[in-house]
Amino acid sequence: MNAATQGLVRLPVWRARFVLAALLAAFWVLGVRSLYLQALQTDFLQEKGDARYSRLIEVPATRGRILDRNGEALAVSTPVKSVWAIPADAELSGAERRKLASLLALERNELGKKLADTSRDFVYLKRQVSPDIAESVEALGLKGIYQHREYRRYYPGGEVTAHVIGFTGVDDDGQEGIELAHQASLGGKPGSRRVIKDRLGRIVEDVESIREAQDGRDLTLSIDSKIQNLAFGALKTAVAQHHAKAGAIIALDVRTGEVLALANVPSYNPNNRAHLSGAQLRNRVITDLFEPGSTLKPFTLALAIERGKLTPATLVQTAPGHLTIADYTIHDTHPGGTLSAAQVLQKSSNVGMAKIALSMPREALWDLFRRVGFGTAPQLGFPGEATGKLRHYRSWRPIEQATMAYGMGISVSLVQLAHAYTVFARDGELVPLSLVKTGTAASGVKLLSTETARAMRAMLELAVQPGGTGPRARIMGWRVAGKTGTAHKQENGGYAPDKFVASFVGFAPASAPRVVVAVMVDEPSAGEHYGGIVAAPVFAQVTQGALRMMGVPHDAPLEPLETPAEGEEAKENT
Amino acid sequence: MSRTYVFARSAPSAEYDRSLAWAALLLAATGLVMVYSSSIATAEASRYTGNNAAWFLARHGLFLGVALLAAITVFLVPARLWQHAAPALFLGGVALLVLVLIPGFGREVNGARRWLELPLFSVQPSELMKLAAVLYAADYTTRKHGVLKKFRRGLLPILAVMLLVSWLLLREPDFGAFVVIAVTAFGILFLGGMNGRHFAALLGMLAAGFALLVVVSPYRMQRIFGFMHPWSDPFGRGYQLSHALIAFGRGEWLGVGLGASVEKLHYLPEAHTDFLLAVIAEELGFAGVALVIGLFIWIVARAFAIGRQAALHQRHFASLAAQGIGIWIGFQALINMGVNMGLLPTKGLTLPLMSYGGSGLLANFVALAILLRIDWENRQLARGLHA
Repeated sequence: MNAATQGLVRLPVWRARFVLAALLAAFWVLGVRSLYLQALQTDFLQEKGDARYSRLIEVPATRGRILDRNGEALAVSTPVKSVWAIPADAELSGAERRKLASLLALERNELGKKLADTSRDFVYLKRQVSPDIAESVEALGLKGIYQHREYRRYYPGGEVTAHVIGFTGVDDDGQEGIELAHQASLGGKPGSRRVIKDRLGRIVEDVESIREAQDGRDLTLSIDSKIQNLAFGALKTAVAQHHAKAGAIIALDVRTGEVLALANVPSYNPNNRAHLSGAQLRNRVITDLFEPGSTLKPFTLALAIERGKLTPATLVQTAPGHLTIADYTIHDTHPGGTLSAAQVLQKSSNVGMAKIALSMPREALWDLFRRVGFGTAPQLGFPGEATGKLRHYRSWRPIEQATMAYGMGISVSLVQLAHAYTVFARDGELVPLSLVKTGTAASGVKLLSTETARAMRAMLELAVQPGGTGPRARIMGWRVAGKTGTAHKQENGGYAPDKFVASFVGFAPASAPRVVVAVMVDEPSAGEHYGGIVAAPVFAQVTQGALRMMGVPHDAPLEPLETPAEGEEAKENT
Repeated sequence: MSRTYVFARSAPSAEYDRSLAWAALLLAATGLVMVYSSSIATAEASRYTGNNAAWFLARHGLFLGVALLAAITVFLVPARLWQHAAPALFLGGVALLVLVLIPGFGREVNGARRWLELPLFSVQPSELMKLAAVLYAADYTTRKHGVLKKFRRGLLPILAVMLLVSWLLLREPDFGAFVVIAVTAFGILFLGGMNGRHFAALLGMLAAGFALLVVVSPYRMQRIFGFMHPWSDPFGRGYQLSHALIAFGRGEWLGVGLGASVEKLHYLPEAHTDFLLAVIAEELGFAGVALVIGLFIWIVARAFAIGRQAALHQRHFASLAAQGIGIWIGFQALINMGVNMGLLPTKGLTLPLMSYGGSGLLANFVALAILLRIDWENRQLARGLHA
């Protein structure tokens, strides 16, 4: 051995002890440090850790359903999947890519582009995929491709109820219609949970529930799907038949003030909103204003009767068919000579109505218009309700007082017009409207005496008889009352000579009204443009169906109606 | 004799140091479990491993098996043969260190050239060099014992050799291995009777160099001492350390439970190598850390005791080699754990016997086998038998 050959040597013992002691001391320091970190500094360190990977995540609340008055679903949330990927992990073969792309209905290069950015940890491939497609994707067993659950809103009514219901966005928030108006109660309150996520954002631990999710409440609307279907179908047919730009219809329950149907054409399919235009989205019933024309005449007449100015039998001189006030002349299409007040309405004489209006203070006329709801929002709780234009009476010139009597120089929405007619249908009471089912008779505000309202009903019934402007509004088995309207459209500050809004507002049965229906057709251009020809038949179809569905007893014999002979049908000017 | 042999708790009749062997095996077994636990998430998410969660476990297990076989073989080799082979082994180590620097042989990872690519596996020459350096320093100190206190004949040759090795290591760069090898080699020289004034001068030069660094380039100082303020830039330079510290804080006394670490889920980089202790701290708590520290203390203490015993038998090489192995394993463990706890700057050193890595494991086990052999020979001598 070396030691032997080199003789006896001594290694300095103290150095070994010193080195060992130094090492042990250092280990001791480590132990103390570990103790400090793991027993004393824990709160600080854990807080730092939580800040990095402890997250509050939202637990989505299930959105409430929207139902019609009979409990039929108009909007439901169906569970869907969203397919996402971690691009760096998604190593797909060509065949796999092809399969995935075709399942998700994506272009192959589109899929390739999404998977190309490997710096991202999360990329949506497709949101809101139906469960069966999601299952097929899952079955492929692709690496780096994941799914998570979402809800997608489905609207069984499609285009029929589109404007009432509206729709939700991709994040399940209401964006239009009832979905927007009742967002708070439908949407519920999402809950939250505390979870721990790994650095790639995946939840690895569910720590605790902070707040339970509160599901949204179901909402039952006043809408009756069957009447709604009928109204939309009839309107769509009429709009197509008359080559019109658009149309709108609303049906109200006279006793409860509930909206039974509300439809617009053109409409859209809320389940597939890929190519939407603004025109399709517009809820014309509520947001569009138009000059109502003759449909406003009953209010002027009612005011005159209420004030004792005249009775339905009072004679009014309408010859020679025109009336000049200041430098403006009012015309009648068919000069009628001396007419009773009831005939003025039946024949829709502008001259007669102007004379009646001028016999009363303008303030009284303005006050009635205002109180039946013109110029104020209808309070339906619907987004974008139009208020309409009703200028203050102090700025009215005499000619304006005259024209406003037959619905020119004032603008209203169709819902305002239908609402106002409840005054006649309900013995002088204006009933508050509701889009949500109430199911109980509502009390209204008394604006006219019962007698006046009854007189108006009789006169409005006359207006749809042969010799009136709206005989096509009649239906078999029930008596009908209503008024036609044919107004020139305003364009560039004046009235367009060949563009009209045809309308009809009425109610039935005339003996004890149950429904008010208002129809508006915008720019009919297939030859006919009179409200009595374009809008009245839609009214008839819808009203008849509604009364039948509501089980309203007949108040007229079930005899076929004779079609009015040529020339027996009066045509109005406005 | 019995006074200096206080650590021998094994039965007098035992042929080898059972407690030392068990301590090493316990560390290695814990290491295997923790390497698996800490690498599951990384392995699963990595394309390099083919998304195989057990990839690191399988390889580490294989390394461990090979290392154990090597250890058993080495145990059969008489200690004096290592002294004869030491210069050759050292030269071989130097050759590998040169080879790893040659492009085409060495594989570059993250800007460091530390790996020699072989057909089936890679070799980390610096790990093998640690063993060679211990044996060579022990041999040198023994051989030159007569002139060790002389500067030119005693200190200068080894100083020159060490400067060469240091230069090679820093070229990779592998600063951690450089520190371990330098400290171990000079530790052995110090224990072997190196001139105290020379040693003091070396320490003085080290301190002076440090002071110079502070004056010349304060930014470099800041980089080195940035570890003291991990929370001033927790998402930048302090990222790794702050996550290691969080792991300790989460572990508390008994840990979050085996497998339940959050830090290993892609937050803490190098969880299965340099920062294995942090995962141990998180999953097994202070109890786990204390156990690891305790086992390392035991191994170091046993190494020094065996060294003293060998010295009493006048087996100087064996004595210095045993203590050198103790310094090496102990010092590297200290540095690694100190880094994990934020007491030392991050320098890329693994935890001996535990961290993932084949070369390190092999070198550690061979060293322990030599240590056990020396002890076995001591016992033979104590019984009056021939070693």
